[in-house]
Amino acid sequence: MSFLLGVALLAVVTALACAIPGVYLLLRRDAMMTEAVSHAVLPGIVVGLLIAGDLDSPLLILAAALTGLLVVIGTEYLHNTGLLEGDAPLGLIFPALFSIGIILVSQRFSNVHLDEHVVLVGDLNLAAFIHLELAGLSLGPRYLYVMLAILLVNLAFIWRFYKELELTTFDPTLAELLGFRVRPLHYAFMFLVSVTITAAFYAAGSILSVALMIVPAATARLVTKRLVHLLALTAVIAVLGAVAGFAAAYALDAATSGMMAFSFGLIFVLVFAGERAWAALRPRRASRVG
Amino acid sequence: MITTTLPCDAVCEARCLSVAYREALVLKDVDFSVPPGVIMAIVGPNGAGKSTLMKAMLGLIPTTNGSVRFFGRPFQEVRSRIGYIPQHASVDWDFPTTVFDAVLMGTYGSLGWFRRPGKHERQLSWAALEQTGMAHLARRQIGELSGGERQRTFLARALVQDADLYLMDEPLQGVDALSKHAILAVMRGLRQRGKTLVMVHHDPSTVRQLCDWVTLVNKGVVATGPVEDTFSESNVRRAYAHMPTEEWFGKATA
Repeated sequence: MSFLLGVALLAVVTALACAIPGVYLLLRRDAMMTEAVSHAVLPGIVVGLLIAGDLDSPLLILAAALTGLLVVIGTEYLHNTGLLEGDAPLGLIFPALFSIGIILVSQRFSNVHLDEHVVLVGDLNLAAFIHLELAGLSLGPRYLYVMLAILLVNLAFIWRFYKELELTTFDPTLAELLGFRVRPLHYAFMFLVSVTITAAFYAAGSILSVALMIVPAATARLVTKRLVHLLALTAVIAVLGAVAGFAAAYALDAATSGMMAFSFGLIFVLVFAGERAWAALRPRRASRVG
Repeated sequence: MITTTLPCDAVCEARCLSVAYREALVLKDVDFSVPPGVIMAIVGPNGAGKSTLMKAMLGLIPTTNGSVRFFGRPFQEVRSRIGYIPQHASVDWDFPTTVFDAVLMGTYGSLGWFRRPGKHERQLSWAALEQTGMAHLARRQIGELSGGERQRTFLARALVQDADLYLMDEPLQGVDALSKHAILAVMRGLRQRGKTLVMVHHDPSTVRQLCDWVTLVNKGVVATGPVEDTFSESNVRRAYAHMPTEEWFGKATA
C-alpha cells in the first residue's frame, strides 16, 4: 500500500472511530467531557510509553484510557457532593491530570519520543510511518489497524446496546425505573470514549481529537430528526471531512490533522448557513408552541 | 392528622417516609395508603413537597427514613406493574426522536437488555397513540409538539407498559383544553379497568370533580382518605395556610 493511501485511510478510519461515539456525547451534553478526557489521558500515555515503549501498544492505550476514566468518575463524585456546581468539577480535575502529564513529558521522561507539540496537535503522518508488512507485502500503516479495531469495537458496542443507549441518553430516569442499570452502561461507554481518544491522540493530538469527536455529530444534528439518521449522517460527514482535510493538507503541504479539523469546521459552517437560509425561506409551522 | 382505616390490599403504601435536602427536612413522616381502582390526587401549596414525595416513592431521590411498598412489595420487585409519567419538562425535547420512537421506549422495560422491539411492541405503541389521540402525530419530531401533546406522548409511553399503578407528576399542568380532555378520558378509562392512578395535582378546585381519593401535603401529610370526607374545608385550609381557599368550595371571596 502506498504511503499516501495509508495516510488517507488512517485519516478516514480515525475520523469515523471518533465521530460515532461523539453522537452520544453530544446528546448527553458531555461534549466538553471529551476535552477533559483527551487531556487527562496524557499522564497515562507518558507512563505507558515508558513501560510499553510503543505508542500503538494496546497495553498503553488501555492504561491511558483508565486515566481518562478518572475524570469521568472524579467529576461525578465532586458533582454529587453538591459543593461544586456546573462544570467546575470538570475544570478542576482534568488540568491537574494534564499538568502531571506535561511535567512528565518535559522533565523526567524527556528521553521519551513525545514532545509538547505532538501532545497538542498530533501528527497523522508520523502515526502512519510504521507500516505493517506481511510476507514482504506492505499492508499499510500499523496504526491503521489499531484504529480499525477501535472503530469496529465502537460500532459493535453501539449496535449491541442501541436500545439501551438511546433510552439512557434520552431519559435516564425512565431507564432507571424500567430496571436498566444506567451507571455501568455509562462507565462502559465512557471507557470506550477514553480508549478512542487515547488511540486518536497519536494521530490528532489532545485538542484536535475533540474536533473529530464532536463536530461531525454537531453538524449532522442540525438537519436530522431521528437518531438513526443522525448516526448515518455523522458517519458520512466524518468520511467527507477526513478526505477533504487530507486532500487539502496534501495539496498545501500542511498538517493533516489540522486540516481535517478545519474541514470539519468548514462543513459545519456550510450546513449551519444552509439550515438557517432554509428556515428563513420556509413558511413557519404554526403548531410549534410550548 | 386524619386517616381513614387502611384497606389491607393497598396498591401503594408509604410509612414514615422522610426526605431531607442537605440539613433541611423537606418531607416528614409521610404515611398514606392508596386502595386499588381510585384516582388519588396529591395536593398542596407550592413547595409542599408533592413532586419530591412522588420521586421519593419511586426511589429516584434518597430518603432519610421510612419505606414505600407497592402491592405489598418493594419497588424493585414490581417495577413492571408501575408506570411513571414525569413532568414534561424533565427531558430534552430537542432529542432526535419521533413521537412513535419515544412511545416505543415504554416497551423497553419488558424487553430487558439486548432484545429489540418487534411487531408486538410496535402494535402496543400504535394502540397507545390511538388511545391518547396522538396517532396522527406519530412521525413528528418530539420538539415540534405543544405542551399538551408532549404530555400525551408521555402518557402513551406509560400506557404501553400496561401497568397496574400509574404515578403522574402534574399531568394537567400547562396543557391545552383538547389535551386535558384526552388525558382525563384516558385516566378515567384506566380507572374503569381497575387500574390505580396517583397524580400530583396543582389545582385544588378540580379535585372533587376528578378524583376519588386525596392526600393533602404540606411538608408532611395533612390529611389522606376519600375525597368526600378528607377534602374538607378545614383540612384544605390547614394544608394551604395563608391562602384564600374559599373559592375552591364554591364561595365567593370578594
